[in-house]
Amino acid sequence: MKHRKKAGDGIVAVSAAALLLAACSSGGNGTSSAGDGTGDVEVWAHQGKDTEVAALQDAVANFNASQTDINVNLTLVPEADYTTTIQSTSAGDLPDVLELDGPTLASFVYDAKVAPIDGYVSQDTIDNATVGNVNQGTVDGTLYALAQFNSGLGLFANGAMLDAAGVSYPDSIESAWTADEFLSALKTLAAANDSGYALDIKENYGLGGEWGTYAFSPLLQSAGGNLIADNRASDVLDGPESVSAMEAFQSWMPYVDPNEDDSAFVDGRVAISWGGHWMYPGYSEALGNDLVVLPLPDMGTGTKSGAGSWTWGMGSTTQQGAAAGAFLDYLLNDENVKAMTTANGAPPATKSALATDALYSAGGALELWGQQLEAGCNADSITEDCVTVLRPLTAGYPVITSEFASALAAIAIGDDVQSALTRAATAIDQSFSDNNDYQ
Amino acid sequence: MSNPTVERTHRRVFRWTRQDIPGAAMAAPGVIGLLVFVAAPFLVAVVLSFFNAQLNSPRTPNFIGITQYARLFSDSQFWRALGNNLTFAAFVIPVQTAIALGLAMLVNQRLRGISIFRALFFLPVIFPMALVAVVWRLILSRSEDGLLNSLVHVTTFGQVGAQDWLGNSATALPSIILLSIWQGVGFQMIILLAGLQDIPQERYEAAQLDRASRWQQFLYVTLPGLRNTLIFVVLLTSILAFRVYDQVYILITSGGANKSATQTVLYQATTSVFDQNNLGRASAITVVFFAIVLAITVIQRRVVRQESEA
Repeated sequence: MKHRKKAGDGIVAVSAAALLLAACSSGGNGTSSAGDGTGDVEVWAHQGKDTEVAALQDAVANFNASQTDINVNLTLVPEADYTTTIQSTSAGDLPDVLELDGPTLASFVYDAKVAPIDGYVSQDTIDNATVGNVNQGTVDGTLYALAQFNSGLGLFANGAMLDAAGVSYPDSIESAWTADEFLSALKTLAAANDSGYALDIKENYGLGGEWGTYAFSPLLQSAGGNLIADNRASDVLDGPESVSAMEAFQSWMPYVDPNEDDSAFVDGRVAISWGGHWMYPGYSEALGNDLVVLPLPDMGTGTKSGAGSWTWGMGSTTQQGAAAGAFLDYLLNDENVKAMTTANGAPPATKSALATDALYSAGGALELWGQQLEAGCNADSITEDCVTVLRPLTAGYPVITSEFASALAAIAIGDDVQSALTRAATAIDQSFSDNNDYQ
Repeated sequence: MSNPTVERTHRRVFRWTRQDIPGAAMAAPGVIGLLVFVAAPFLVAVVLSFFNAQLNSPRTPNFIGITQYARLFSDSQFWRALGNNLTFAAFVIPVQTAIALGLAMLVNQRLRGISIFRALFFLPVIFPMALVAVVWRLILSRSEDGLLNSLVHVTTFGQVGAQDWLGNSATALPSIILLSIWQGVGFQMIILLAGLQDIPQERYEAAQLDRASRWQQFLYVTLPGLRNTLIFVVLLTSILAFRVYDQVYILITSGGANKSATQTVLYQATTSVFDQNNLGRASAITVVFFAIVLAITVIQRRVVRQESEA
């Protein structure tokens, strides 16, 4: 009996703890102050790759050594638990400076956990941030966060395998494959490969998680659909454009390698890999000059891609706004941005660092993705010229991504597209109407 | 009413004697623990299930009555999850107990090196379920090079092609049942093995003198001797079967498992609260699940008790 009770009640105990935390967090209502610009500054960051951690630790050490007024204390939290840690920490206990995953920012603003930073970070720093960077950090017209780097998403291809199979491929954003061209390329490549597969979509990351939304919601937008419009998902996420995009996605699945070992592309089991900038160092090393970088397929209104990554904000109750701002100014200077992007291969999110970046500026190996990022926009204002679309900046994002990614995973294994998307759209709309549209 | 025992207990309730103090003091930590960590959170969950409570939101939750329950009962996905739970339990409880008993009898023989076999059968229990799920993800891969697909290909001389074991709604739940039994059976085996070794050897000798066959010995000596152990094992397996979560979560999120065919009630509760911040819905799921598990437990206890009195 005792064991049995524990089974059901583990969840209950967690819920109760969450309620207590919720009660605590209602105490903080976002009263930050500048302070005198001296003293200790607490910083929380996610513990990413070792090289990223080293770059961040160096930046903190150098900042502390460069002046005597401010002392930055860095706390690293494992990546898998990072967002949950912020969620379950009351506003009063959050540090002065904290790292946030871009699409979660709006929900932290909604929960009054982060403070506006435009009064604390220098105007030069804000002016030097790329448009996509500022867009990602702005909620309801107020700037809450700025990032060191952005993210790039597209197709990696093995040029030698494509040439051998007689498949021609696009060399610019405008000439992106259409959905049909992409399907016929996959068929040809799969037939030419002993593995019988042609495409890797990083299924090992789990289509039902954030990867699914980041990597495949651009298909909806490219078809003229979207995840959500005016706080409603019905007739948008399950409208005919979105359905057609997901039906095309489903038609590619027979050619997709399950990629459990994450080496389908480097082992030559597939000729094309749907991936992000973080794959570039490994792929480049394995394929050398055979590696080509392509835009995602154009589903009708021009190719679209994903953007956004980790960004830096301030706790809503910080009393060290000036000192925290000084640290962010330092973190976002060319030297530290370059150290970080060298460590993780990401596109810099500041204008000056991007302009001189060897990979993403003109002539670089990832120049195409640099161009994609220049043509960026928000999900609620997509134009024909826009390529990289930020994930929706709404506090309801956790529900949107959870429902869309679940539907995507179901579609991938053959569920009916229309009913999977309608189920997701209904659940999203219910959550929005329950919560006053997260206003 | 004239029963003296009843009268004495009545008096003990009303008169607090010296001897009761140490007993109460020693029970206190356990009782307080149960109240604080089991009873109180459950009551909180009942209350929360009537509110539109968002995890960690500074806004005051608003009362929405039985809306969460109404939605739950009209949600086909919830019924599917509950059905998956019951199917899982209906297969795992008898099959796992039977296999555990068979294995326990196999490794109960006096053979050289039998402890090696005992250790081997017990080994999967030591593996964390997360690791087991990841290993079975490779076994059940839909790729032609997947271990199970390769095996099927060879044994059927290439007549049967690659199957998406976890993605196909017909094979997804059986796959999870299979890996769960593989992981858990060693534990029940060890408990039953201890029970087997408690049965006095003389009973088997007596049965042999009566010319009882092996099957009759099993039926009339082994099973009655294992009675209490078996009841314990069935109860334990039921508990584990209803709280199945780890392997389901891992295989759905990163193994391409068919979500609607494999999700369980606990999976739905955690997804609601941790992915979607919907604390109210998660609380309602938990309360309903608690009621169902409680009902099953009461029935199970009653059936077992009747048999032991007969």
